[in-house]
Order: sequence, then C-alpha cells, then structure tokens
Amino acid sequence: MLEIKNLHARVEGKDILKGIDLTVKPGEVHAIMGPNGSGKSTLGHVLAGRDGYEITEGSVTFDDQALLELQPEERAALGIFLGFQYPVEIPGVTNMYFLKAAVNAQRKRNGEPEIDAMEFLAWVREQVKTVKMDVAMLHRGVNEGFSGGEKKRNEVLQMLVLRPRLMILDETDSGLDIDALRIVSEGINAMRSPDRSVVLITHYQRLLDYVEPDVVHVLAGGRIVRSGGPELARELEDKGYGWLDNAA
Amino acid sequence: MSQIANVAADAYGRAFAALPQALREARSGAYARFERERFPGKRIEDWHYTDLSALNERDFAAAPAAKAAAVDALADAELLHFVNGRRIGGPARSDEAGNGLADDGVTALNAALYRDGADLEISGSAPRRIHLYSWIGGGTKPAMVHLRHRIVLRRGSQATLFLDLQGDDSELLSTQVAEIDVEAGAHLTLVRLQSLGKASTDIARTEIRLGRDAQLRYLGVDLGGALARHDLNVQLAETGAEAHLNGIFAPADRTHADTHTRIIHAAPNTTSRELYRGLVMDRAHAVFNGRIVVQPGAQKTDSEQHVACLLLSPRAEVNAKPELEIYADDVKCAHGSTCGQLDEQSIYYLRTRGLDLDAARTLLTYTFAYDALGTLADEPLRRRLGLALLGRLPDGRALEELLV
Repeated sequence: MLEIKNLHARVEGKDILKGIDLTVKPGEVHAIMGPNGSGKSTLGHVLAGRDGYEITEGSVTFDDQALLELQPEERAALGIFLGFQYPVEIPGVTNMYFLKAAVNAQRKRNGEPEIDAMEFLAWVREQVKTVKMDVAMLHRGVNEGFSGGEKKRNEVLQMLVLRPRLMILDETDSGLDIDALRIVSEGINAMRSPDRSVVLITHYQRLLDYVEPDVVHVLAGGRIVRSGGPELARELEDKGYGWLDNAA
Repeated sequence: MSQIANVAADAYGRAFAALPQALREARSGAYARFERERFPGKRIEDWHYTDLSALNERDFAAAPAAKAAAVDALADAELLHFVNGRRIGGPARSDEAGNGLADDGVTALNAALYRDGADLEISGSAPRRIHLYSWIGGGTKPAMVHLRHRIVLRRGSQATLFLDLQGDDSELLSTQVAEIDVEAGAHLTLVRLQSLGKASTDIARTEIRLGRDAQLRYLGVDLGGALARHDLNVQLAETGAEAHLNGIFAPADRTHADTHTRIIHAAPNTTSRELYRGLVMDRAHAVFNGRIVVQPGAQKTDSEQHVACLLLSPRAEVNAKPELEIYADDVKCAHGSTCGQLDEQSIYYLRTRGLDLDAARTLLTYTFAYDALGTLADEPLRRRLGLALLGRLPDGRALEELLV
C-alpha cells in the first residue's frame, strides 16, 4: 500500500529525514516511535503533502502511484488521512458542514456524486457515538473552543467519517487522559480492516496498549534505527530513548 | 429663476435649481455651504486617502424615475423600499426645512438635494424589526441619488434596523445620511449591508447619539462600489451608554473602500467595543480610521478597539489607523491593529481533508470575517450577510452550505 524508499527531506536548509525505508502493507498497523526532534512529525507531513519540505532523495508510492508529486487534496482523495498533533480551529464553520464539504470534495475529485444530505447526517451521528462526543458539537465551529482532548477526538471523528485507507496519526495520543485515550483507540480500532493501514506516530507506548501494532519502528536522527514487534515498544518504555545515543 | 442666479452651472447647481421653490428656499443655506466647501480633496486630513475632488468636475443626471421591483424582504420585518432615492409603496418623507446635519460639503449637498428617506419614530416596549431596502441604478448615463434618514428610538424602545443598500453596475453617485437618536434605555441593533454595483461612488454618513443606558449593536458589511466611504460616528452622550461596533470591509478588483469610525465618550461610565475585519483582494485599497475620543469628565470610560486586515493579494493595500484622544484620567482604553495573510497551517489542514486550495482560502477568509459577523445574534440577518460576503469571494457560492 505504502512504499517509502530512501526518503530524504530538508526544511530550511536542514536535513530532517536522512534515508527512510518503510513498507506498509494493507491491514497493517505500524507504530513510529522516537525522541522529540527525530523527524516523526516531518515524516507524517511529507506523506500528507505539506509545503516547505524539499525532498532531496528517494520516493514514496501509494498503491503504486508516485505520491510526492500530488497536492494534499489529491492525496486526501486517494484515501490518505493525517490526524494532526495540533488540529486547527475554524470558527464560523460547523463541524457538520465541514465534514460534508470534505466528503463531497473528495467524492467530486473521484468522480462520485455528492452524498445524500439526510443519509450523511444519520451516518455522522453514528460516528459521533463512537468517539463519545455530544451531537451538539456537530453544530459548533470546527474545533472552536475545544479542549485538547476534544480536538483529538474530533480528528478521529473526521477519520471515521472520511473512511481513509491510510491513516497517519501524529501524536493523536498526546495530551489525552486515560478515558480519552481509550475512546480514541476504539475509534482507530473500529477502522482497522484488511484493506486499511495505520501509521501511528507516538512518543509513548501507552497508546499501543490499546491499538496493537504489527510493527514498531524507532526513528532517530532522521533514520529508522530499529524495527521490531510490539515488544520493542515495551522495551523503549522501560529503557527510554537514551540508549539510542549509543546506538546511533 | 432670478432667485437661483447664484447657483453654479454644474450638475449640482442644476439639480438644486430643479427643486420645488419651497425646498430651494428652505435649503439655500445647505446648498450655499456645499458651494463653499464642495467635495473634499486629500489636503483635508480626514479625506487624505479618499480624494473626492474629482467629483466637483463630474456631470451627474438625476437618477431615472423609481420603478418597483421585487425585493427579497427580510422575514418578520416591516419593509421600507426605496428605489433611486424615492420611497416605493409608502408615503414620502415630508420635505424638511433642511436643518439636519450639514457640516461638510458632502452632508451639505445631501441636505440640499435629498428628496426622501426613512423618518421613523419608534416607541413602546414591543421590539420593531425594519428592513430598509434601497436600490439604485437603471440609468444610461451617470446619475446621482441622495437619501436621508432620521430615526428616533424613544425611551426604552427596541428595534432592529437593517439598512440594505443594493444597486446595479451603472455609473452612480450616491450620498446617504442617517441621523439616529437612541434615547435613554433604548436598544438599537443596526445592520448595514453595502452591496452596490461596481461603478458606484457611495458616500455615507451615519450619526448616532446614545442617551442614558442606551445600547447600540452595529454590524456593517461593506462590499461594493468603485469608491465607497462610510463615516460612522457614535456619541455616547449620557452615562451608562454602550456601543458595540463590528464591521467587515471587503473591497476587490481596483476598488477603494474607506471606513471612518468615531466613537465619542462624552459622559462617565460609558462603554464601547469595536471590532473590524478587512479583506482586501486583487488591487483594492482599503482604509480604516478608528478614532476614539474620551472627553474631559468622561471618567470610567471603558473602550476597546481591534482591527485586523487580511491582504489577499500582493497588490492589495490597506491603511489602518487607530486614533485615541483621551482627555480624562480614569479610563480603560485598549486598541490593537494587525495586518497579515492567511495562515498557511490552516490552509494545509483543510487541504488534507480534501478541499482544494481556492476553497480552503475562501473558507478561511470567510472565517476571518466571521469574527465580526458572528457577533450578530440575529440568525436570518447573519445568514443574509454571510451569503452576501461569500458572493464576493472566489468560488464563495460553493461554500454557502458552510454558513453557521
């Protein structure tokens, strides 16, 4: 599904990613862990198509399509979703209409007709239950005045509604209390299926207690320095990231 | 015609000469003042960025006779319908002696030449809701229209007044003066939409006096015209008066939009809040001048002013200036003025959800303006103004459904 080869990226003259190789197959959950400044978030944004990164080497394909040449909205329509570490507030636009605009924009790009408004409303209300939010929030501005945890749940709601095939979640677990973490995890698990893949970018192991990864990668200094099974995450939790200084 | 021999032989003199004799006599002072002052040029500080002196040489015919046309009337509101400065389907404002506001060339011309306008006296406790719709246009050569409104809210009364200014793309000069008196304890919600055509010159003056504990909530949305100037002057004349001024100006193409607000705290314990949002597109030029005056003795004045502008193209230009004049010592006055571009992070966020670049930009532009628009509690009116604004933004119509 996702094939990253020897990816090098640079921001403002500084090399951040220094040769990433990563293959994510359909149905797999990959966790990318690592200390602050290791390039985890950069990787997420390079995949989602943010401006300002210079790709100096390497390639990314999604379903055998060259990804790096596409605009963010084209990637979204292909089924790539980035859950933001810091979701943006958009006062003046209700969540409900934002969701609908996003779905319809993607459908239009894919040559599909607009979604039926009534069916869509019912469908969205179902998803709101999964993230245990008040239905009233659908009629509030997007993330407007939301707490950190509410914003993250709203990211998961968008994901549930948009039904992406590749979900990249950038520290969706940060700043969550244990109840919110459980809710967010349930949302992610609800999306798991043989044809969907997840890339969890996280600093801590605790999310992985709820969303069991197939593969755990450790990113440090812009490279994947170790990959392993779920046990690698627990090892990191015990040892911290300090040992990487010696390994790198 | 001997009594008008001293009238200038230009469009304005001809228009004055064409008035009924009684009006000419009653308004000779106003007209004489216009003759003395004419339209202001940039050497006058208040008109530095908006030079009207070219109007002195222009030739404007009287606007074509009023013809009724369909109006998208505001629901549950009384409709006052004006076309080319004349009331449709109701009595004309009784012609007056011309003793209203005439303190500069423009207001003097308006005082001399206006033929109609709303003349409302609102009293009692039942809230009134009034849609004052003015349409101008239809001419084949440059034409001028002058309207003058007088509105009094008697003690303790409540009203929502929607000044809705529309027009076509014919070449027009429009002047409008509104004199509004909000007496003790009365509450006025004043909403003004200026959505004139692209060849209009619109010069408007709104003069509001607030009595003891009176409240004003103003929202203005200025969208149209080739050259538009609005002077909004609010006097907090008695203790406890409160004014909330919010506005949006959104000039596009090569147009010029100038908003001057002046809030005068003339009594103790008065409060004002002002928030403006400017969206400047293409090669447009916006001017915002917000003056706050705290007069001697107006202790415990509480005043805040915020203006922020978005420059949406490299050739857009804005001159925004707060001006504080404080002559009392026990006051709270805060102000802030910013100018910038759309937030790249927000554009990116929307694009990752599937919206294309233009849709994302328009959505965020609307959102920026919503800081002012959202202050209007009246939902149908807010929606109407939101639609008018979206109609002026690139691909905005596609986003109509997004309105809160």
